[in-house]
Amino acid sequence: MMAWHDVAREGEFEPDVPKVIQVGDDRIAVFRLEDGYYAISDICTHEYALLSDGFCEGGKVECPLHQACFDIRTGKALDEPAEVDLATYPTRVEGGVVQFQL
Amino acid sequence: MRTLIIGAGQAGRRTAELLRGLDAEREILLLGEETEPPYDRPPLSKEILLGEERPRGLMQRDAKAYADQRIALRLGERVARVDLKSSRVETEAGLHIPYDSLVIATGARARSLLVPGANDPRILTLRSMADARALRAQLRPGLRLAVAGAGLIGLEVAAAAIQCDCMVTVIEMGERAMARCVPKEVSDQIEGWHRAAGVALEFGCRLAVVNPEKDALRLATSRGEFEADLLLVAVGAVPNSELAYEAGLAVDDGILVDASGRSSHPTVFAAGEVARIRQSCGRHVRFETWQVAQHQPSAVASALCGIDKPYSELPWHWTDQYKHNVQILGAHDAGLEWLCREDGGRLAYLGVDSEGRVRGAILIDNGRETTPVKRIIASGTAMSRGVLRDPATPLRQLC
Repeated sequence: MMAWHDVAREGEFEPDVPKVIQVGDDRIAVFRLEDGYYAISDICTHEYALLSDGFCEGGKVECPLHQACFDIRTGKALDEPAEVDLATYPTRVEGGVVQFQL
Repeated sequence: MRTLIIGAGQAGRRTAELLRGLDAEREILLLGEETEPPYDRPPLSKEILLGEERPRGLMQRDAKAYADQRIALRLGERVARVDLKSSRVETEAGLHIPYDSLVIATGARARSLLVPGANDPRILTLRSMADARALRAQLRPGLRLAVAGAGLIGLEVAAAAIQCDCMVTVIEMGERAMARCVPKEVSDQIEGWHRAAGVALEFGCRLAVVNPEKDALRLATSRGEFEADLLLVAVGAVPNSELAYEAGLAVDDGILVDASGRSSHPTVFAAGEVARIRQSCGRHVRFETWQVAQHQPSAVASALCGIDKPYSELPWHWTDQYKHNVQILGAHDAGLEWLCREDGGRLAYLGVDSEGRVRGAILIDNGRETTPVKRIIASGTAMSRGVLRDPATPLRQLC
């Protein structure tokens, strides 16, 4: 069943530094961008690596192992070596707390 | 109009796909010697040896993906000669194929060992999927594996084999690990990982003779005799430039090309690691990396469509050994001073020249700094050593 999961209070986010939440087997990275909060799967679709360890800028995150690049807003794989898009999750702010749905 | 690409590896696939993206009309024919559809090679020395059948990193598409892109992929075809005068190639099967433009993407092969006894079937090299599967089939607990060469491939194989409970000895003529592309401080770290895992490293050790005996290979070296069940030779690669040379193209440790990939003949190009690419300084350099096979074909495909998009990337490659990721950027020539930044387990070694400019870098478990470091190197700005060393100043603030 889908549920909303708390991430952190709005004031605790820094630009380009995601917060990571584990839900069961899923690891979700939540980013604050200029236009809101975005939640994506934290695992690169190329080889196993944590995107939250990668470089993030301009709404994109790079895999720290092999520099595959993803759009944080859409989860889209932007360049090889990744071709499979990331899962994305809806987000909302409830009483100053950022949440995502999974 | 037909573009014929010889070599269905990563560079051949990329050239074909990028060319299709730029030109919907032209006929694209991709000829490969192997029977496998194109694949990227990084997993061959890692995941495949550890028993994964189809690691995602192979980037291998099926035949339908090529049909959908209207790329005619013909596998198991070896080209015998190229005739520049008549613009045709001849395959070993006797087929004559005319072309309007030709791309040679034949890659490189493993350098073989030139010592007496080196033709025994227990002596392997690693280059193709077939090689990787043959090696994988041999790895078993207790196998005595000798690896000749402590370069990137030799060490990745050593790491995989020790994880398969083999007994691994690496024999290297030089004095340290990966000496061609990292400074001594980094070699020390890498050697530490291998020794901790139980790999025996023998430096300053020249293999003189292999004596193949019934139940073992006896390896006579400058540091005594070793016994092994299997010897993996990883002493570098040689470009497959014979076709180009015999056709009369300019070849010198690779096919000499300009930054667009154009050879000494106007309708013939070279893509990937068979190409020795002219740099802005005038020198030609050949790169044996995933990066060049991935991105230099973009220059070639563009040039084939009359678009000038010269290839000039900062050299970058990586190795994954055990749980560690090492990224190698830019120059690593002698004369650089190497500064180390440490931030928890994340390391950055920055190679600084006499004027304080960062020219190269090695990042260990620290891939998030790759893009900032690329920018710092590209800027060519002199920086203070104190700032470069200080982990409190993020590298992204310096670029």
